[in-house]
Amino acid sequence: MALTSVEAFHSPADKASVVQLLQKHEDNALIVAGGTFLHGLASRGLLTGIEVLIDIQNSGLDNITINTDNVVIGATTRFAQLETSQEIAQEAWLGAVKDAIAYPPIQIMNSATVGGSIASSCPFFDLPTSFLALNGAAQAHGPDGSRDIPLEEFFSGLFENSLAPAEFVTAIKLPQPPANSASAFIKLETNANDLAIVNAAVALTLDAEKKCRQARVFVGGGMGETPVRASAAENLLTGAVVDEDSIAGAGEAAKSGVDPISDHRASAEYRAAMAKVLVEKALRKALARVD
Amino acid sequence: MKQIIQLDVNDEVHEIAVQPYDSLLRALRETLGLNASKRGCDSGGCGCCTVLLDGKAVYSCMTMAMQVKDRKVTTVEGLGKVAGLDPIQQAFIDADAVQCGYCTCGIMMAAKQLLAENPNPDEDAIRKGISGNLCRCTGYQKIIEAIQLASER
Amino acid sequence: MTQLNVVGKSVVRPDAYDKVTGGKHYPVNYSLPGMLHGKLLRSPYPHAKIVAIDTSEAEKLPGVKAVITHADVPQNVFTPVYFVPAHAKSMVQDFVVMSDRVRWAGQPVAAVAATSADVAEAALQLIDVEYEELQPVFDPEEAMKEGAPQLHDNAPNNIAKAPSFSFGDLEAGFAEADHIFEGVYQTQRVHTCYMEPRVCVVDSETDGRITVHSSMQHGFGLREKMAVALGIPESKVNVVKPTYIGGGFGGKLDVGHIEPVAALLSLETGRPVRIEHTRGEDFIATTRNPIKVYLKTGVKNDGAYTARYIKSILDAGAHATHGAEVIMVHGLYGTFFPWKCPNQTWEGFSVYTNNIIGGGYRGYGAPQGCFAVESQNDEICEKLGLDPIEFRSGNTHKEGDPHPVLQGHTLNSYRLDDCLKKGAERIGFDRRAPANSSEGAKKRGIGFACHPLWVSGCLGFPDIYEHSGATVKLNRDGTADVVSSCIDLGSGQITMLTQVVAEELGLASEAVRVVYADTDTAPFDAPTHASRATYSAGLATKAAAVETRNRLFKAASAVMEANPGDLYLEDGKVLVKGAPDSGVPITEITARAESAFVQMTEEGPRLTTIEEKGTIIGSASQAPPSNPSPVAAQFVEVEVDTDTGEVKVLHVVHAADAGRVFHPKAAEGQVEGGFQQGMGYALMEHLQFDQDTGACLSSDFLDYKIPTSMEMPPKIESIFVESNEPTGPYGAKSMSELCLIIPAAAIANAVYNAIGVRVTELPITPERVLRALGKL
Repeated sequence: MALTSVEAFHSPADKASVVQLLQKHEDNALIVAGGTFLHGLASRGLLTGIEVLIDIQNSGLDNITINTDNVVIGATTRFAQLETSQEIAQEAWLGAVKDAIAYPPIQIMNSATVGGSIASSCPFFDLPTSFLALNGAAQAHGPDGSRDIPLEEFFSGLFENSLAPAEFVTAIKLPQPPANSASAFIKLETNANDLAIVNAAVALTLDAEKKCRQARVFVGGGMGETPVRASAAENLLTGAVVDEDSIAGAGEAAKSGVDPISDHRASAEYRAAMAKVLVEKALRKALARVD
Repeated sequence: MKQIIQLDVNDEVHEIAVQPYDSLLRALRETLGLNASKRGCDSGGCGCCTVLLDGKAVYSCMTMAMQVKDRKVTTVEGLGKVAGLDPIQQAFIDADAVQCGYCTCGIMMAAKQLLAENPNPDEDAIRKGISGNLCRCTGYQKIIEAIQLASER
Repeated sequence: MTQLNVVGKSVVRPDAYDKVTGGKHYPVNYSLPGMLHGKLLRSPYPHAKIVAIDTSEAEKLPGVKAVITHADVPQNVFTPVYFVPAHAKSMVQDFVVMSDRVRWAGQPVAAVAATSADVAEAALQLIDVEYEELQPVFDPEEAMKEGAPQLHDNAPNNIAKAPSFSFGDLEAGFAEADHIFEGVYQTQRVHTCYMEPRVCVVDSETDGRITVHSSMQHGFGLREKMAVALGIPESKVNVVKPTYIGGGFGGKLDVGHIEPVAALLSLETGRPVRIEHTRGEDFIATTRNPIKVYLKTGVKNDGAYTARYIKSILDAGAHATHGAEVIMVHGLYGTFFPWKCPNQTWEGFSVYTNNIIGGGYRGYGAPQGCFAVESQNDEICEKLGLDPIEFRSGNTHKEGDPHPVLQGHTLNSYRLDDCLKKGAERIGFDRRAPANSSEGAKKRGIGFACHPLWVSGCLGFPDIYEHSGATVKLNRDGTADVVSSCIDLGSGQITMLTQVVAEELGLASEAVRVVYADTDTAPFDAPTHASRATYSAGLATKAAAVETRNRLFKAASAVMEANPGDLYLEDGKVLVKGAPDSGVPITEITARAESAFVQMTEEGPRLTTIEEKGTIIGSASQAPPSNPSPVAAQFVEVEVDTDTGEVKVLHVVHAADAGRVFHPKAAEGQVEGGFQQGMGYALMEHLQFDQDTGACLSSDFLDYKIPTSMEMPPKIESIFVESNEPTGPYGAKSMSELCLIIPAAAIANAVYNAIGVRVTELPITPERVLRALGKL
């Protein structure tokens, strides 16, 4: 009911109009798209003083563009659009995206947007962990034009990000990795319509000898205020043959590197233990996807 | 401040006044008096409010009324009447899938999209298709049977 | 058994057509012209005194029509539970609708009626309440200690009620035992999760009468509690029976706050007032009380019980309400009498804490008891290498035994052994491997549990209402109308009533309608609870239908010039025995009964007789003759992921002796839906509260998880071991609650079989599994 403070609802037709509205209303404005997180936040008293809602779904931001060096997913692309995208279904390196959207129920798939999953900056969401593993960047648009913010810089805290005033997310950019790359995501949840208790995403690039050229490992879901990079696990994997030994080592390293929260859904101890289990599972899943 | 919008519900265009923060569910129930879509949680957790938006199942409690301008909303009122029930409605009756029935309308709308896109879903697809809808009476088993029955007809 | 035409068949539920086309008759849809919307202001503190409340700013807000606080609410103290009198001696009276003393976080302290819910909500923010915070206590065992904060006067050590039972010689029994087992079994606070929120519309008349529409399980109980809460005669309150409600499961068995508050707001404004709970408010309105069970059992080498000591500590929350009765039912039917043990003592404690108030929930104290006793039974069998099915069979009652609780009653129908045998066969219990014997990270296990004593209503329970009534009227078009106060929660009471009447009057079930009822015009019925509706309301409705039939035969005997005793019904006709061609349609008899004395026909005036005149109607209001026990056993196969701790249920077989099964599909629906709730109880559901502020952490389904279609097992099989209960309608007993009493124990035992370690605290979360395995 905290949304009753809203006095106006706008559906601007282009990015420039969005920015104008954001400039005009500053902290009292909120961008909406699928709206799937809005009410949960509002009912918990986490959204107050919002006077203007700006729906960006008519702002022409729902394209998936496959370029030679990257994939650009428009901010208002719905999960269901991602699911039906041939590229995302086929490309092993995008496996972590495909995996993450395999969890939500149909109503969330039809409403939730990629941009919203990023801009909400909620540490219990799934796509952020996947996009981080894929070294993604948020494309932000503001008064000074567009800029790309690497997601590792983008997420700055619980429901906080590094968008400048009057800036908003217009797309996610995922750089095309070298050949022999694959990624995977896995999540622990209590029921099929749940935020992650723990999730993990990994992206691997192997060389001709099946050694790991590059690994990116992230764990989310209460690992902290943002998903956390498991650098020690990545270091351990890089240059190594990815086998059960190195996978176990990476899992252990991921566990030692996290300092999760305890809440009513799980203790820090359980979350840390699951960081290991999920990283291992995700690594096996990704490995199986590399040609 | 309320604003006047046009809302296309079940192929009928209504001109209604809504608050800028009103959900589609509220517009349907409180403004249009269309009560088939139920409020069970108001936060996208139970699925009782599921409607079709341009043929796609959404939680109407999470969809803003203002976002639905120029789009087509389908509720159970647009599905079928007793004189001409939709096969899904008939199958829910025949399979004894309706107990308290509070979740039924929402689940039928989710099933409507499922069957439109996948006329012969297997049990896993049906379970997935209704996983955004909670039912506290049936354990889902007879609901799944009903959707299977509808797909066979 | 006698040949039946309608009972025993899965007829179409009459309410299903309405529900698949929108379900317009749910109380949540009810509205009246000029209706105001009410909202409750709730205390953020779990324990406090209200020093002052300033409502002046709220009253000034445009659209606000009334604001009330405790000062405007009669301070009548009563028990808000529907199924007992408001001042029942066996219960505890400690509840007022609004008080200046706050005992739980979320307790209503003021209310607003306004022209819209938004305005009412905004007005709440303008009410200024000054609290003096008091030290809260959340753990019942802490609350029982000397020096703990005291919640109520007259309840030293916060003990609201401390019943106990004992027989035999406990000490001698333990001395006689070859083995003694001790354990502590803890259950959690869960919510019924009815899908339709608690909601009401209350209107008032100038003479002070009020009319109540509400989503609840007992119209007469609501009438009585409203009258007591408001300090007005019962006759001033008319409660309209909802056509159906969106689920209850025991969670709508007490007057909470919304109905009396709406009444006060309506009386003040002269307008109808509607109050609807948010899901967050529902979560703190009712709950299944957590119970901690200390269990000590002595057994001989052959598995025979020698002694049992049980101590049960129930967290009643801020007010005793249901907690004063749940503890009794838990003791009597949840732990003590189901099992045959020669020397037993049970001590129960219903303890006040600053947690939310407990409520009713399907099973009412027995799921907590079954989990404890059946977990320990499993341990006993495991440790002593006993056949677990023979062990249950050997320590439970047998058909023909005296009823262990009800003096002078007999277990006329009691097929637990058949349930155990058939359930075991169906799941393939003989393939069960020793505990923790499967290879790999994912381990499978099979377990079962049974519950050997339960109820078909409340006959025999002190102070609990147990009678039903109905009126059955035949219409000239060959249909019958039933007036009954028995509310359909979704479990099929409407269908059951139509089946009974159709059976007795020789009609198709479609020809019978359950029609409007309210407390002004319909006979009393106890609530739809305690697995009682089919047995008790079914019997009363059957009696009413029999009276209607007698009346029909009386009229028919005049028309047909036959002895009423020689008449029978078939296919909508009245026939004379031995003359199958003699049939006169019921419609004709009814039409003549309702016709003018002299009828003009083509052939001229025709005189009918006085004897055949008058509405063909019958009514009954009666208590049932007994309280027969249904029994059931449930077998479950699970898979436990020992890496993550996740438990997946793969297969369920529920074998029940419910007596005659009225409607096989509806009965299966009870088993399947009961398992959804039971599995949630076993594995995930937990209404949690901030341990500092007492605030509920589960405001919606994001934070309170119940099983979706994805977590539910692919197969839940029902086996009905049909017995013939001679006191029941057509041999029926009951079945609903056992479907939820047993699953947690069965799942816990299956988890043990999978991993070889026992989890004795619900829910069996992944984290608890890993802790049990020593992996955390």
